[in-house]
Amino acid sequence: MSEISSAAATAHVPAAAAPEIPKLPPRQWAKENLFSNPFSTALTIITTVILLTISRALLSFIFNPIRQWDSTATNMQLFFTRAYPDEQYVRVWFCLAVILILTSVSMAVWQAGSSIPVARLGRKFLAGGALLGILTLLAPFSTSGTIKWLLAAACVAVIGESTRRFASSGGTERTVNSLTVLAITLAGLAASLWVVPYGHYTYVANREPRVLAEEGTVALTTKLPWTIMLLIAVSAFLLGRWIRDRLPTNPTRVTLLILWLLSPPVLIYVVLRDPSFDMGHVFSTDLPIFVSYAIGGALLLSWLTRPSTGEAGRIVAVIILIAGFCTFLTPMRMVVRLDMLTLAVFALAAPTFAGGPRNRRRYVLGWLGVLSVMSWLITSINTPSTVTVPGGFFIGGFSITLMVAVFTLVLSFPLGIALALARTSTMPIFRLLATWFIEFVRGVPLITILIFFSIMVPLFLPRGMHLGEVAAVVIGYVLFSAAYLAENVRGGLQSVTRGQHEAAEAVGMTTAQKTLFIVLPQGLRVAIPPLVGHCIGVFKETSLLAIIGVFDILYIGRIVIPGQTEFMGSTKENLLFVSVIYWIFAYQMSKASQRLEQRTGLGER
Amino acid sequence: MTDTTPVEPTDGQTRDLSGARDMIVCENVSKWYGDFQALDGVSANIKEQEVVVVLGPSGSGKSTWIRCINRLEIHQQGRIVVDDVELTNDLRNIEKVRSEVGMVFQQFNLFPHLTIMDNVTLAPIWVRKKPRAEAESQAMALLERVGIPEQAEKYPGQLSGGQQQRVAIARALAMEPRIMLFDEPTSALDPEMIKEVLDVMKALALSGMTMMVVTHEMGFAKEVADRLIFMEDGQIVEQNTTELFFSNPTEDRTKAFLSQIL
Repeated sequence: MSEISSAAATAHVPAAAAPEIPKLPPRQWAKENLFSNPFSTALTIITTVILLTISRALLSFIFNPIRQWDSTATNMQLFFTRAYPDEQYVRVWFCLAVILILTSVSMAVWQAGSSIPVARLGRKFLAGGALLGILTLLAPFSTSGTIKWLLAAACVAVIGESTRRFASSGGTERTVNSLTVLAITLAGLAASLWVVPYGHYTYVANREPRVLAEEGTVALTTKLPWTIMLLIAVSAFLLGRWIRDRLPTNPTRVTLLILWLLSPPVLIYVVLRDPSFDMGHVFSTDLPIFVSYAIGGALLLSWLTRPSTGEAGRIVAVIILIAGFCTFLTPMRMVVRLDMLTLAVFALAAPTFAGGPRNRRRYVLGWLGVLSVMSWLITSINTPSTVTVPGGFFIGGFSITLMVAVFTLVLSFPLGIALALARTSTMPIFRLLATWFIEFVRGVPLITILIFFSIMVPLFLPRGMHLGEVAAVVIGYVLFSAAYLAENVRGGLQSVTRGQHEAAEAVGMTTAQKTLFIVLPQGLRVAIPPLVGHCIGVFKETSLLAIIGVFDILYIGRIVIPGQTEFMGSTKENLLFVSVIYWIFAYQMSKASQRLEQRTGLGER
Repeated sequence: MTDTTPVEPTDGQTRDLSGARDMIVCENVSKWYGDFQALDGVSANIKEQEVVVVLGPSGSGKSTWIRCINRLEIHQQGRIVVDDVELTNDLRNIEKVRSEVGMVFQQFNLFPHLTIMDNVTLAPIWVRKKPRAEAESQAMALLERVGIPEQAEKYPGQLSGGQQQRVAIARALAMEPRIMLFDEPTSALDPEMIKEVLDVMKALALSGMTMMVVTHEMGFAKEVADRLIFMEDGQIVEQNTTELFFSNPTEDRTKAFLSQIL
């Protein structure tokens, strides 16, 4: 009886958990993974030797006394913003603050960060200390230098080991949020600005070291702003947490995304606005045009999206389209024409989105959004009316790299997707035009396009219309990027199976609905890796702007700083610094793409 | 499979549908893929509330025919009229027919990036322009009808094949179609999952839906079908009421086919 009951009891026990893979002691681990047979032993030894040689070479390069690292530290402002006027510099900090606030709030709302066991953190410190020790031994230091660095390494290792002990002593596993670690690290860096005089440089003239600038130039001007930035970021994160806990998730996220999309045009306006700019033209011409289109278009579209309007709507839409084309026959403002054409496109698509009051309101809001962005862009490009978009630009360095990359990507994504859709469409005209465009642009080198747009486009523009050089180049770059992007997206679209198309058609979806709800979401997800590759490529290839005379970060590091009398020939140091900056951003992009893939992978088989 | 209503087997007893009107009319439908003729003068009428099972060896054109009926394939000759709407190149007619005709595929073809609930409600909201709340309550009712209301928030990849196919049926039903087409709905399923899908289909047939089913499930055909159509080489070889088809096939090819699969 007892045997039966025990058998029954075991039957109810869930299947045993998979056996835990035992953690090997270091020596055994090394034996199994590194020295398991003669070949792997040889491989291990050769790799170690190569790694050590490279590290030593790199360290000898960095710590060579003839390296002028001060040239990098002193020229931080040049690197990041070029010669942005000092008295207006608060605008740059303002932009940075806005970006930081958006980032922090988004991180809180999207619940970024994970909890790390303190013990693992301790182990990382321990390993870091050991690595630092090894590197110190490799580096070409004097004896006192070696001892100093070894002491530092030992300190790090001791901190790590004691943290580990402390964490494992309590019995329960202690964890810490990765964002807390990040905040503490950043706080440490900000605090170091108050202590260490970065950018206090000397140079050898007539064999006599001389201090040129006042002490701690960089630290002096940036310690207060950076501390404020840190405080802003932390408080924005707390605000984000408060928002996350109290407001509904989805509307918050949508609002944040919209803010992110709006931030580039707004920030560029903040940075580049001419202080002596006259708003008269905007109030007298641009705003009235915008307002009349906004009100008229909204009324028209809310009528067209009413289900009872029916086929009459299409006729009205076609009339608007024809009228839009006719505007090109008579002289008038470009804004009026473009707004008219956009309105026609919205009117043509309106019956597809017809429905209840909620759908209609959403559609009208979409029109208002597109109209606002378009009006803003046109207004800012038309120099006589508003902003000095980078014409005689005084901004440069890394900020111009970022600006060009962001604008190129933001504008070329919709264009690229549209091109990909056109190329896969069943309508021959669209397919033909898209194919020609893509094949033409892909056949021309980027430099050609950049030079063409910077020199030729201003010649083709109608009289009275000016386009800043960078704006012209960005347009060319957008076209170039869109052509490549379209091919990546097309690859993704083609991976969507025929069955998905058929299922969408079988439930009665129109082509637009099928594309929007079924094909694009799946196709774009597949295309994430090549798309991120493309983003990184666009980001790095902005360095070609130097050819048409834009002072981007690479140009500054390669030509400008090594040409300063104090830092003659400091090319190598600055190139290394520039490549580190590029790497940090590119690496963050690929990390973001991995996270994006994981998130969107939800529900995949 | 617990929630579907038990099915009373009709055992091939023919319902009297002679007075019903024609839901699908096919006249001399032909289709070619390049030089290969997939359909060769197919003519058949399907009446309202009738359940027709199409049989035949693979490559006989059954799937092509059924897919022509909601114009996933385009026929090149002949006429197809669905619920008094003729299928032509006119997009409005195609949209009308597709919203009247539900289709269930062999490979389920659920939308993998959407939850089960979104799979079912997407078309009612955007094609039928229903308010979301109404579409969701209807979707819940349908999911209950096919026996998987508890899976609504999952993704298709997390469901078994049989569950996925039942969601696909619910998705088609959400458009409130008057005709349902089934293209080998159980061929991609493991044997133990076939029954749960067939039970849903039986319940649907009993509720009076007009159905056209391509299948190799003879048990289902015997039990539920009003009429059987046997196809080979793109032609209809024989069609008859279920009883007569199995007891007294007239054509030699039908006999050979039946002797192989029964």
